[in-house]
Formats: sequence, C-alpha cells, structure tokens
Amino acid sequence: MSVSITAEMVGQVIISGLLAGALYSMVALGLALIFGVMRVINIAHGTFLMLGAYTTFWWSQLLGINPYLSLLASMPLMFLLGVLLQRTLVTRVVNAPELSSLLLTFGISIALVNLAQLAFTSDLRSVEYLTGAWLVGPIALSKSRVISFAFAVAITLFAFWFLQKTKLGKAIRATSQSSEVALVCGINVQRIHLYSFGIASALAAAGGSLVAVMIAIQPEMGQVYTFKSFLVIVLGGAGNLPGALLGGMLLGLVEQLASLFLTTQLSEAVAYVLLVLVLLLRPAGLLGGRST
Amino acid sequence: MKSGIIFKLLRVAPMALAFGIGLGVPPAAAQAPIKLGASLSMTGTYAALGQNQQRGYQLCAKHVNESGGVLGRKIEFVLYDDRSEPATGVRLYERLITQDKVDAILGPYSSAITEAVANVNEKYKMPMVAPMASTTSIFKKGRKFIFMVQSPAEVYLEGLIDAAVKRGLKTVAIINEDTLFPKATVQGTIELAKQKGMQVVFVEAYPKGNTDFSALLTKVRAANPDVLGAATYFDDAVAITRQMKELNVSPKMYGVTVGGDLPKFYELLGKNAEFVYGATQWEAELPYPGSKEFTASFKKEFPGADPSYHAAGGYAGCQVLVEAIKSAGSLDGGKLRDAILKTDISNVYGGFKVDQDGFQVSHKMVMFQWQDGKKVIVWPDELAAGKLRFPTPQWNQR
Repeated sequence: MSVSITAEMVGQVIISGLLAGALYSMVALGLALIFGVMRVINIAHGTFLMLGAYTTFWWSQLLGINPYLSLLASMPLMFLLGVLLQRTLVTRVVNAPELSSLLLTFGISIALVNLAQLAFTSDLRSVEYLTGAWLVGPIALSKSRVISFAFAVAITLFAFWFLQKTKLGKAIRATSQSSEVALVCGINVQRIHLYSFGIASALAAAGGSLVAVMIAIQPEMGQVYTFKSFLVIVLGGAGNLPGALLGGMLLGLVEQLASLFLTTQLSEAVAYVLLVLVLLLRPAGLLGGRST
Repeated sequence: MKSGIIFKLLRVAPMALAFGIGLGVPPAAAQAPIKLGASLSMTGTYAALGQNQQRGYQLCAKHVNESGGVLGRKIEFVLYDDRSEPATGVRLYERLITQDKVDAILGPYSSAITEAVANVNEKYKMPMVAPMASTTSIFKKGRKFIFMVQSPAEVYLEGLIDAAVKRGLKTVAIINEDTLFPKATVQGTIELAKQKGMQVVFVEAYPKGNTDFSALLTKVRAANPDVLGAATYFDDAVAITRQMKELNVSPKMYGVTVGGDLPKFYELLGKNAEFVYGATQWEAELPYPGSKEFTASFKKEFPGADPSYHAAGGYAGCQVLVEAIKSAGSLDGGKLRDAILKTDISNVYGGFKVDQDGFQVSHKMVMFQWQDGKKVIVWPDELAAGKLRFPTPQWNQR
C-alpha cells in the first residue's frame, strides 16, 4: 500500500527540501553567529522565531498590510529585544562554562514562551496569504514557500555581505576568531556581543515572519527550530558560518528525501543519525570548526 | 523524610478535593433518593470536556426528578474529581461503591480513565454505562458490566467511504497521526474500504507534532486516490489541508476525523476549508428525539457553556441508565445489566443498542461537509440536512 517512487516525485521533494533548507540556513546562521562570537548556545533562539511569527500575525491582523512587509517590524523589534537580553542577562554567562549559558537561555526561553501563552493564548493562528501553488509541469511550487525562500536567500546573502565587507562585520568576525586579539586590536568586544546577539535574533525573527505565512502559529512553535538550528550548526561545524548554510540545505534535503524514500516518521531519525555520523567521522562538522 | 510528607500529601489531597467537589441534590422525596456515582475530570488535561459531561449528568438528574423520578424515588449524583488521572479515578470508583454505597454508577470522561475504572465496577458487578469511551478494546476484554454509548474509532471515516462508494469512487489513501486513536481509525477504515470493494492504494503514518507534510503528500499525489482520508486531531488537520493546496493534491473527496468539526478549523483555513468532510459523534441540530429540548435547556441551565457532544453524551448515558432502572424495576446489578443489554432506544444522542460485550452497535457517526462556512450534515442520508458538493473541484477551480 505504498507507491513506487518516480523521478517527478524526487524532483518535487528536492524542491521542497531546498525551500525548507534556505529557511533553516538563515535561522541557523544566527545561532552559529552567537556561538562563534560568544561560545553561548542559545536555547532561546527558536523563541525569537516564534515572537517574529506573532509580530507578523498581529501586523497583518491589525494593520492589514502585506505580511512580508512585517519583516520591517519583526527584525528590528527582535534585534532590540536581543540586544536588551544580551545587555542584561546573557552578558553574565559569556565567559562562564557552557552549562551556565544553556541554563540561562533555557530559562529565558521558558519565560518568553509562557509570556506568549498568557498574552496570545495557545490558540493556533494563521496568516492566510497566498495559499496554493504555481504549477510547473508535474511540479507544484507552493507560492508562500517560494516567496519565503526568496526572502530567506536575500536576507542570508545580505548578512554575509555585511559580515564580509562592512567594518562592523569584520569586527564581528575578528571577535569570533579570537576575542582576546580583537580586544587588543581595539575592538569593543562587549559592543560586538550586543550586535551579534541582536543580529542573530533578527535572523530568527525573519525566519518566524516567513514561517508565519506557511504554517500555523502557536507559542511553542519555536522549539523545533531551536533543535533544527542546533542540528544544522553541528552538521556544518559549530560557529562556522558557511557551514551553517551548507548544514541547513543538507538538513532540508535529508528530511524530505528520507520522508519520501522511508516514512515521515523516520525522517527525523535519519536527520539525527546523520548528526551522529558527522560527530563520529568529522567531529568538527563538515566544514570544520570556527571559520568565518 | 521529605518524600514521606509529600507521599502523605498526595494521599490526602484527592480526598480533600473529593469532599470539596462532591455535589448532591437535596433529597425531596419521602423515600431516600437513588444515589448515582461518577468521577469526572473537573481539573487537569480533560477539564473542559469532563466539566461538560458533568453538566450533562446534572441536567439529566434535574429532568428525571422534574418528571417524577425513578421507581418513585428522586435521583441524586455523588460526583468526584479524578483530576484527569486514571489512578485517581480507580480510587474514587472504589470509594463510591464501597464507602458511599451508591446504587449505580456512570462512566468517567475519556477512554484512558474508563479503561482503568472498568476493572473496579467489574469486581463489584455493578453495571457502568460509559458515555465517553470510544476505544474498542475496552469492550473486548470479556468484561460483563461496561456499556458503550458512542461510536468506536474504527468507524470515524465510515461516512466518507460509504458516500464515496455510492458515487462510484474506487481508490482511497489514508494518512494518520501515529497514536492509538487514529491508528484504530485507520485499521477500521481499511476494513470498511475492503468490504465495500474499494482499493486502498496508500497508507502512511506521521509522527505526532509533525508540521511538514510535503513528502507525504507528494506520495499521496503520486498514488492519485479518488478519496483521501486523514485520521487527525486538530493542528495536523489544518496543516494537511493547507499543504494539499500547496502541493496541488486534489482528490475527489477529502475527509478528516477529529478537529475538522471545530469552528476554529474554518477560521484558520477560510475558504480552503470548503468541500472538506469531517466526522462527528453528535451535532446539536441533528433531528434526534429530545435533541432540541436538550440544547435549549442546556443553554438556559448553563449560560455560556457550549452544548458539545460531551454534554449530550453524558445526558444520554444517564438517560439509558435511568430507563434501564425503570424497566428492571430494581437496582440489582445483574438485573440492571440484563435491562441495559435489552435496551434499544433512540435518544438525544442517537441510537443506543449494545451487543453481548457491551459494544455499541446502534449509534451512528455523522459526516458533514464544510459548505459556505457552515457544517452541513451530508451523511447518512436519513439524517442529512443538505446534499454533498461532489466532486471536490481542483484547487485552482475553487
């Protein structure tokens, strides 16, 4: 009672995988940035994604403006929230053992999720905009996913350009390579931490805004993205930014292909088996450790 | 030391709660009232649903007493809160039977708690009409004193299959959340489809909490079934419907089980919910005897509460018991059992008749279709309020 797999199906699924993968890459890039710069594993990363999604929901609900434009609100808002949290809380655990940062960000995540439940209730919400598909021969291209993909690619490319070419971006990368040397060179490392956390939160929020037009929104939706981002940066090499891109695309493809050739139930297992294999064979990730 | 105190607290707390929540109608008749016992989930996970079932029980007691009671006596409920926990339920039924010495009992909310407490009433040979348990296995373990009121998981998609066969459709695909209840639905649907000569072309489960159905639906599209049945809860029903449009999966009929009946389903999906079929145990507008009166007096008695199927089922379960007491003319467990086994009636909740195992054979699920933002009952024919819109058009032609 299963179907035989055709080339069309594989094509459809590869496209689905790439569309999902670009979002994973963008969101995981934020997590990689924080880890690279501060050695902090941010369990609350997905929470920012959830808050971004709610920003988009309320934006389109209350203002009735195109949900994609809400990126202009969700990214700056979460940037500010990220900066605020870094300034008040996260800064205290930057040089502490990794367990401290895990506990702290876990706590932040629980607090924010519960606040969201109080404020927004646990009811599912959705932004109905551009449902349906463009049909290209035998392949269906989901309108919302294709547009989200385009935004994700653009935002990711912009983030890379920013890190490569601007002075601030270079300072962030320098801090990521060695914060002591950066400090000696006159870089204000504290300030770089603020910017990094802010940018990372904005990337998560962008993910949330783009996901909001694809799936239903609820306060606990972020968790799964935290895990996926974690998987992505371990695959790519923790703190390695190009590695996050590669890892995200890889995760998207592996999930979809495993769902196709095996079952949806096994696809998650396959992703984690891949993680274990990478950790066994290339413990530093596919592209090696911190490289920016 | 510490754990000792906690253990004591755990033992005392349910008692305190039980006393706090026990409800009773003051005895009015000269003769002592007939005491009916039940535990319900008034707190915990199932609270909202258990509370509505409780309202059904209370309303039933009120109506029975207003019309003169049973065997010349009033009825009175002894109700406890099981906190949505099977173990607490077991303790409470034990207490109801041995300490409160109730004359008869009614079932708790949910399959899980019913399964647990069914051993207690079995031990004391006290019949239990269980209105809110629809897992077949509970009734297939050789128990003699438990009776089912609603339809089992296996027939949730019967309407979809039956309506499809009548319209000459040949193939069906089934997808489901990989948990107990949806799995039972899938098993039942496969059986039904085979009996009716439909070919099951694709079956696959997905994990609980899944949000991306792309690959699964790609396979469904390749299988190209006439009918797609999804054994769902709620979140997944919404996501699957949405992603079917994204992947252009357009079967001639598409139905979901649980979740599709909530108003929220249409709120979230808007016009993409049009043409979707759903299954339900009961709807207020069904033309069952006493249904209108039930809904009206429920709304009057409990303003703000929703007369859901949990309330109607509780009310009907209580009615069945009361009728059985009347026809047995006695409160003896054995005689009551015989009377319930002989019962063949139609009430607020639809038909009630059980086989020798206590398994429900008369109650019918109904199937509705979302039409212009409303749930229109389209199956079975004798209860249908409207015609089904068939076939479901391609997504780009809706």
